[in-house]
Amino acid sequence: MTHPDDLLSALLDGELTPAERRVVAAHLDGCGECRTELADLSMARTALRGLPRLELPEALLAAPITAEIETADDTVVPLRSRRRFGWAVGAAAALALAVGLVVTGDGPAPAADLDTLAEQHTARVVVDPGFVTIRMTVDE
Amino acid sequence: MPDDGPEIPDWEDVARRYGRKIYNFAYRLTGNPHDAHDLAQDVLLRVRRGLQSYTPGSFEGWLWRITRNAFLDGVRKKKRRPTVPLPEGDHVDHGAAPPPEEVLAAVRLGEDVQKALLDLPYDFREAVVMCDVVGLTYEEIAEAIDVPIGTVRSRIHRGRKLLRERLG
Repeated sequence: MTHPDDLLSALLDGELTPAERRVVAAHLDGCGECRTELADLSMARTALRGLPRLELPEALLAAPITAEIETADDTVVPLRSRRRFGWAVGAAAALALAVGLVVTGDGPAPAADLDTLAEQHTARVVVDPGFVTIRMTVDE
Repeated sequence: MPDDGPEIPDWEDVARRYGRKIYNFAYRLTGNPHDAHDLAQDVLLRVRRGLQSYTPGSFEGWLWRITRNAFLDGVRKKKRRPTVPLPEGDHVDHGAAPPPEEVLAAVRLGEDVQKALLDLPYDFREAVVMCDVVGLTYEEIAEAIDVPIGTVRSRIHRGRKLLRERLG
């Protein structure tokens, strides 16, 4: 008889029909090679079954609900992108304010007043850039 | 949960009953907590959406088919990504990163077996994980991956044989 090969794994798993089991058992009685293979397969099976079972992270139970809410309305920009966009707007606003005021400050007549104004605003924006970004985030 | 009852399963119940198995399947197939977290999250989301159109039948087959498809979709997505590292902050983020304690809990657990498992060809790895980690029957595995039982039997056998060789 040829070696039963993959029937050996199925034997370990109780996945053989009674007829198959009888045939394999009879073969094993007379085949040392297959008995060795059965022992090897059993060792691999035990190693796999002995792998530690990890706990499900609790956060995963809540995640799909959150994701569903975010995608419930397709026209709504996902929170993650929206926040990034908010920061970009904040940065752009700060830059426009600073550049705009400095450029305008180069004008001739009201130069003195605008220069002062520009200095104050630019200083505020540059020294405390967090002010704009924090405000933008909160405004969301 | 009855396999062939008339009731459509409730997501909360499915998540509590199968969540841990799904996470362990994901971890053993991917080999790291970050990918396992993303995959399990994807599966639970697909289950939530799928339950709306779920026709009562073999629940195990349905669930693990979803799980397997989510994994394969993830692998395909990764393959499409450029191999050069993306600029910082430009990476594709599938969800919140797992907290450090989750990562710590997952490391150094059955490392040698896990490493040998990841060396197996996908078909064999999937079959032995479904059988020996998740605890599915050959029939359930056949249904989940849509192959004859004889193929399942062969894959499990060859997977264990290769694993045994790699474990030395």
